[in-house]
Amino acid sequence: MIENRPWLTFVSHLSLLFGIALVALPVWVALVASTHPTSAFGAGHIPLWFGDQALQNWGSVLFDNAGSGVDVPVWYMMLNSLIMALGITIGKILISLLSAYAIVYFRFPFRHLCFWVIFITLMLPVEVRIVPTYEVVANLNMLNSYAGLTLPLIASATATFLFRQCFMSIPGELVEAARIDGAGPIRFFFDILLPLSRTNIAALFVIMFIYGWNQYLWPLIVTTDDAYYTLVMSIKRMLSVDNGDVEWNRVMVTTLLAMLPPIAVVVGMQKLFVKGLVDAEK
Amino acid sequence: MSVYFPHKKLPYLLLLPQLVITFIFFLWPAEQAFEQAFYQEDPFGLSRTFIGLDNFISLFSDPIYYESMLVTLVFSFSVAFLGLSIALWLAVMADRVIHGKLAYQTMLIWPYAVAPVLAGVLWWILFDPSMGPVALWLKYLGVNWDHYLNGDQAMILVVISATWKQISYNFLFFLAGLQAVPRSLIEAASIDGATPFKRFWTIVFPLLSPTTFFLLVVNLVYAFFDTFGVIDATTQGGPGVSTATMVYKVFSDGFIGLDLGGSAAQSVVLMFLVGIMTVIQFRYIERKVEY
Amino acid sequence: MTDIILNKIGKTYPNGFHAIPSIDLTIKEGEFIVLVGPSGCGKSTLLRMVAGLESISQGDMMIKGQRVNEKEPADRDIAMVFQNYALYPHMTVYANMAYGLKNRGESKNVIDDKVNNVANMLGLEALLQRKPGQLSGGQRQRVAMGRAMVRDPKVFLFDEPLSNLDAKLRVQMRIEIRQLQRKLGTTTLYVTHDQVEAMTLADRLVVLSKGKAEQIGTPMELYSKPATPFVAAFIGSPSMNLLPAELNDQGIKLSEQLTLPFEHDFRGKLVWGIRPEHLEVSDENDADFAMRIQAVESLGVETLIHGVLEQSDGASTPLVVRLSGPHTPEINSLMWLTVPEHHWHIFNAETEQRLSES
Repeated sequence: MIENRPWLTFVSHLSLLFGIALVALPVWVALVASTHPTSAFGAGHIPLWFGDQALQNWGSVLFDNAGSGVDVPVWYMMLNSLIMALGITIGKILISLLSAYAIVYFRFPFRHLCFWVIFITLMLPVEVRIVPTYEVVANLNMLNSYAGLTLPLIASATATFLFRQCFMSIPGELVEAARIDGAGPIRFFFDILLPLSRTNIAALFVIMFIYGWNQYLWPLIVTTDDAYYTLVMSIKRMLSVDNGDVEWNRVMVTTLLAMLPPIAVVVGMQKLFVKGLVDAEK
Repeated sequence: MSVYFPHKKLPYLLLLPQLVITFIFFLWPAEQAFEQAFYQEDPFGLSRTFIGLDNFISLFSDPIYYESMLVTLVFSFSVAFLGLSIALWLAVMADRVIHGKLAYQTMLIWPYAVAPVLAGVLWWILFDPSMGPVALWLKYLGVNWDHYLNGDQAMILVVISATWKQISYNFLFFLAGLQAVPRSLIEAASIDGATPFKRFWTIVFPLLSPTTFFLLVVNLVYAFFDTFGVIDATTQGGPGVSTATMVYKVFSDGFIGLDLGGSAAQSVVLMFLVGIMTVIQFRYIERKVEY
Repeated sequence: MTDIILNKIGKTYPNGFHAIPSIDLTIKEGEFIVLVGPSGCGKSTLLRMVAGLESISQGDMMIKGQRVNEKEPADRDIAMVFQNYALYPHMTVYANMAYGLKNRGESKNVIDDKVNNVANMLGLEALLQRKPGQLSGGQRQRVAMGRAMVRDPKVFLFDEPLSNLDAKLRVQMRIEIRQLQRKLGTTTLYVTHDQVEAMTLADRLVVLSKGKAEQIGTPMELYSKPATPFVAAFIGSPSMNLLPAELNDQGIKLSEQLTLPFEHDFRGKLVWGIRPEHLEVSDENDADFAMRIQAVESLGVETLIHGVLEQSDGASTPLVVRLSGPHTPEINSLMWLTVPEHHWHIFNAETEQRLSES
């Protein structure tokens, strides 16, 4: 900054630390709660310091069963979540790359119509069309399947737009140079376009992975078989038992484990994450 | 750009996957919602009768629907206002510090990655009337906290949960906006004798207004559609309908109340609203692209 | 032997705009042809039509006796150097140069030989493993040329390749391009808006204006016998002085007071021109007319004197005189000038064509 005002710098640090504490507070409580036996919660208040059950709770939830009405272990649901998240992410990126490529680098009849059909999906988040989408998936016999979990969430106008913008920023002379060098559209796509878009793809991957992992309502209604439970939606099942029977320590372990992978991705790939976020909304 | 490949069939092949998915999972359901909105269906889906606009008429003569609109507005604007204010404050502070900026950023952005439903669960347990530490502390201060019974308190809880998750997003954009303010402007202002406080309100904040406007729109859209999990985990729209937003009502009327026609009519109304919002947002996006 | 024939080539855009109405041009093997003109004159469009990047609306394009109108750029056996070089940013210099050969299915050894060979010729050996982002402007320019050269094409196409370089480097690269082209003997089409570049590089120039070829000829032909006022003004720096005039029985009437004796069958409005370097300073007695000096630009080796034709009726026609060596005339003073007749350029004002010698 321009001038040195120690008290202002002090206030800045203080505010930030306070903000961090406030943001972290619920996680702290959850972490503490996850280390106590189930009986600790009947006493009328949540303990504020760590208990001695950490290893038992975490181990049993992760490997035996999540408990509180969900009979599969967390590692298994993590696998399901991973399959769903990766399915959505990779699917979205693939179809968006292809469609954006078609829209930017070709001129063909009905191009604008196609563009608008894709654009319209922006207007229809799954929460809004939840009932009929459920019926369609049921008609296609895709309830309780990975296809049913991922396919309806794959179409993404956002990703198509992002790639469209990314492609449009690539100078047209590169296409011409490639054509003179004997590269057709397929070669150009793989040799030039993909390598040039790889940071964009990676950034989008981070954002879409978080989006996919955190899906809640859709898995909740299309999966009734616990073989297909995802981690995030299982929380709802764990809370659906009678209030007195909720095993809070186990719910907290599951919650923390469900948060961990996307947080690890955000923190570990912070630069790509920030880029993805800013680009996606541009 | 004016450079294209001269192929005629290939582009359709490239578009095919996205178009197929869009047709099956977007346009078909949307069309079904439209159709269903004009029928009355029995809960088992065995028979249905065409009833014209009756679903819409009963929807718009239902005081609960208006209440749900009001709930949506109060909820959305509270989340947007609270989220923007806190994030702006933190971003301004983070922009000031020289050491540890990245560490602060890291410590503040991770809630973005938390699923809304998990955010709801985390805050629920803090505020649970019988065992939550915050609820107990409030009781100690003389506030009788019970979001199971008190609609206003339920609203406060969902607003807090939803805001908590969104702060990181706003923070990142504000910080980027602040870092884009030219140093020379701030230097000129301080040579002109403006105090840091005055500098912020007369120079920095006006320059941030495009970011702020953009974030306002994004936050409203977020509060509208992406907070389903928060509400479902913490209050399930209750007590009564005091936290049932319009999106939540589509789900609860359709899946729990099994009023398919009514739910479909609400879907149609929402699609219409999203359509308007998207067009506004898109205009904004396109304008930015032109620069 | 003829190499490229453009036979009534034309370009009409889908919106109906006639970018190029019709152009005829025959290029001999090994010739260096420069397309020159102001921006928007259609020179780049014409080049891109030869390259196959822009479709041809009418006419025939022949390369080595083959009609190539419908051929893909890669099948025309051409290579192109772009204004912004269009190097693939994610590939090394080597990979950039090898890409076209690889796509043609050449073997690794052949590619290696050719790339190294060209890299030697251009002094790029040390840069082969670098990416374009790590190169200076001049080096990128060289790589772009190298990429064109490795393919050993029948035709080189250059689209304003020097306009992104600073002035000094531009002169250096200009000479280098000319030497390389002589050495390789490859037919070359070169687009530029810079007439100095055009004059120094070309065997023959095509001056384009609004999609029409105003004149095709050697630099000296264009300089000494420009076919139209446009070419006259475009070639040469500073531009030729062009004055509206009228031909009558007395001669060329530049104004009410000033008529230069001249005999010709033509009667009517014309444009009379003389290059700044052909105006001669003289005594008041021998002078054809006087110029009121307004500004002097001293460049050491020469001096440019800007002024207006001094006339009693107050009308002022701007004139430029170019004298070699340093001069320091006073501003606002009069300068007496003669205009030798063999340096005159006379154009029919209506048809905008050079008046034939009588």
